[in-house]
Amino acid sequence: MTTVNERMVFLDGSRLIIEAMARAGAGAYIGYPITPVNWLFAGAKQRIPIALEAPDEITALQWAAGFSSSGVFPVTASAFPGFALMIESINMSFMMELPMVIILAQRLGPSTGSATTGGQGDLLLLRGCISGGYSLPVFCPSNLNDCWDMAAASVHAAVSLRTPVVLLTSKEMVMTNQNMDISGLNKIERAERHMHEGNGQYKTYGVNGNLAPPFLPLGNDLHQVRLNASTHDMEGITQKNSPEALGNTERLKNKIEQSVDEYTYFEHDQDEGADTVILTYGISAEAAREAVGLLRASGESVSLLVMKTLLPVPPRIYELLSAYRHVVVVEENIVGLLRELLYGNRQHDRVHGVNKIGHMITPQEIAEGVRQCRKPS
Amino acid sequence: MQETILNDLKMPYCPGCGHTVANKSMSKALADMGVHPLDVIVVSDIGCTGLVDPLLTCHTIHGLHGRAVALAMGIRMGLEHPDKNIIALQGDGGATIGLQHLLEAARHNLDLTLVVQNNMVYGMTGGQTSGLSSTEFKEPERPETAVPGYDICTLAQNAGAAYTARTFIGTDTAELWKEALSTPGFSLIEIVEMCPAYGMRKVQELHDTADYESVVTRNPRAVGLPHRAIGRSLLDGLKPIEHTCEAPLEGRLEIIVAGSAGEAIQSAGDLLSTAGITAGLSATKKGDYPITIGTGFSVAEVILSRQPIHYTGIDCPDIMIVISQDGLDKVRSRIGEHTLVIADAKLGPELEELAGQLNLMTRDFRKTGGSKGAALAAIAHWLQDNGFLPIEALIEAASRHKHGDKMKVIIDKAVAA
Ligand code: SF4
Ligand SMILES: [Mg+2]
Repeated sequence: MTTVNERMVFLDGSRLIIEAMARAGAGAYIGYPITPVNWLFAGAKQRIPIALEAPDEITALQWAAGFSSSGVFPVTASAFPGFALMIESINMSFMMELPMVIILAQRLGPSTGSATTGGQGDLLLLRGCISGGYSLPVFCPSNLNDCWDMAAASVHAAVSLRTPVVLLTSKEMVMTNQNMDISGLNKIERAERHMHEGNGQYKTYGVNGNLAPPFLPLGNDLHQVRLNASTHDMEGITQKNSPEALGNTERLKNKIEQSVDEYTYFEHDQDEGADTVILTYGISAEAAREAVGLLRASGESVSLLVMKTLLPVPPRIYELLSAYRHVVVVEENIVGLLRELLYGNRQHDRVHGVNKIGHMITPQEIAEGVRQCRKPS
Repeated sequence: MQETILNDLKMPYCPGCGHTVANKSMSKALADMGVHPLDVIVVSDIGCTGLVDPLLTCHTIHGLHGRAVALAMGIRMGLEHPDKNIIALQGDGGATIGLQHLLEAARHNLDLTLVVQNNMVYGMTGGQTSGLSSTEFKEPERPETAVPGYDICTLAQNAGAAYTARTFIGTDTAELWKEALSTPGFSLIEIVEMCPAYGMRKVQELHDTADYESVVTRNPRAVGLPHRAIGRSLLDGLKPIEHTCEAPLEGRLEIIVAGSAGEAIQSAGDLLSTAGITAGLSATKKGDYPITIGTGFSVAEVILSRQPIHYTGIDCPDIMIVISQDGLDKVRSRIGEHTLVIADAKLGPELEELAGQLNLMTRDFRKTGGSKGAALAAIAHWLQDNGFLPIEALIEAASRHKHGDKMKVIIDKAVAA
């Protein structure tokens, strides 16, 4: 029977993501309609102080950048077709160091594919979407609880690192209703920007030994702000390739990679003595959790590693994986994107895939994959 | 801090370039108006016009090709200070690739000024013509064969700009600047200019080749601003579901409810899920329907389980409730050997043909529930028959619904039938 503090409700991931981002400080949501993010848009219209309909996804990102440069934290959401249009503007925001979150809900591709079929096909697109190969921080919820926690983590990482961040999810996560006791949700703190203080000298991209520069909004009365998407010096002036400007660009790589331990999230369900680990993320994690139950119930030992910080790849993930003889990578695509991200194109004897498209991977398929890889060949 | 918006750096443009003159006019107009540089934000585009940033003492933001106006809109909507002047600068190339943004800014009538420095060419990339180049310039021999350029002043005016002006470099533009900057709402100034490197070299040539004239239009109307709401929590509005009774179900039960658009299939699925939670179970539900939601099939997939549900997919369900032909056509292939099919009587003959493999129960659920209540009637009948969930759980779930009273009548009838 219901206990005193319990609040059991029936809800979808979209609702949790928007509520969590609002609590973390999202001040504007800019949407362009596309399946499967329409529930996010609908929630944002009720919840986020400013919710706007952009005429296209390029505009959505430009508006987001405008909001961010004036001190308002923006969120937008799309699926691959809209995300593709956003990429140049995401690069702009990355270079200008404007915090924002882009929610990318994956669906079956290529191209328009199937709008209402889930998928996990966009990981390497994210890995490569910044020209120069720099990583955007990418977080990935694996269940309803994560929709809450990773949404908040995205906003916090974006603010503290002054960067666009992607929350990578999928149709199945944002459009499935599930029961959940929301009394146990973690408290979310508002993410506050590190502001420049005082009347002293201000350079828009002067970091004083920090990884990210302190912020001042465009239009402030004290200091000139110069935001710039072209290669620029610390003041924000375009420079072709001066040492100062190249140093600033290198910092964009370093600020995200050097702080990854601070925003590394994963779930490691370790079975003592297991020689095999199932490695997965996002919607396939739920099937993997059941597969682990099936295998252990029949006396087969196996561990599970669910990545929630996907990019940059946390070094901790490699440490954990190195303890296993077999790694079974489960993802809803037929190419093996996470496998390629971690291990490259070369085949490794210890790395196996469970992959498919068009339907969610089932717990039975994962269990079978684990058994196959352990068969002596 | 200098009081003029231009510092004393040498302008980077070719000798005779119109951008030099245009920048000086902007600076003079702002100085005449007594605007402090820190009350100005210049949003610059890509191209020779975008070389302006280092020359400026105001706030600057240098973005992508063609997007300056969109970026300026975002800044205006985000800034809490309406007294700050936002000026977007772009060339004719930027105005071409970003034409949608120009129209959007005019339509919203946000308070900002766009200056298009139209020298009819892409100077930075070697002199290609743009969407604003005149026919005479593109095809001096046979202008009638050239694709005409956009008249962006007319376009912006039609889209709702509060102020538009076109002028030719060489005339005193300071007054236009002042009027544009002081007009509440979206203002556009198009300055037709020389590009000695690739375009016209003399003011007279501009006049001789342009397809259009100087123009000023005024269209005073309400200034756009985004609506700001104090959003209410998306969780507070959710009514908790009390666990008030017990279900005998031990394991996991997968149920598909299938019918047609307008037959309340999704709300039947929600109701069944809520009933399960009321009886202490875990529940998941997802909907499937065509993009044209007013027609065709509607399918709800529900899982009820004693244990927490992780995997939310259903292949062949344990129970399939089908109340229309659309629904049956959609889910027929998912009937498994173990599936119990509960169908409206009308579908009986077709299903009986499959009878060999089928565990089938048919009733006239439409008679009991009507088209909007047939799915609910079938659920109630099934629960009454096999007792996976107590019928009180379904009644309790219905009582949370805005049509709860009607639903309860249907449940009663179905149970009695
Ligand atoms: S190329 Fe043309 S537009 Fe560019 S600076 Fe030279 S004259 Fe001016
Ligand atoms: Mg030009």
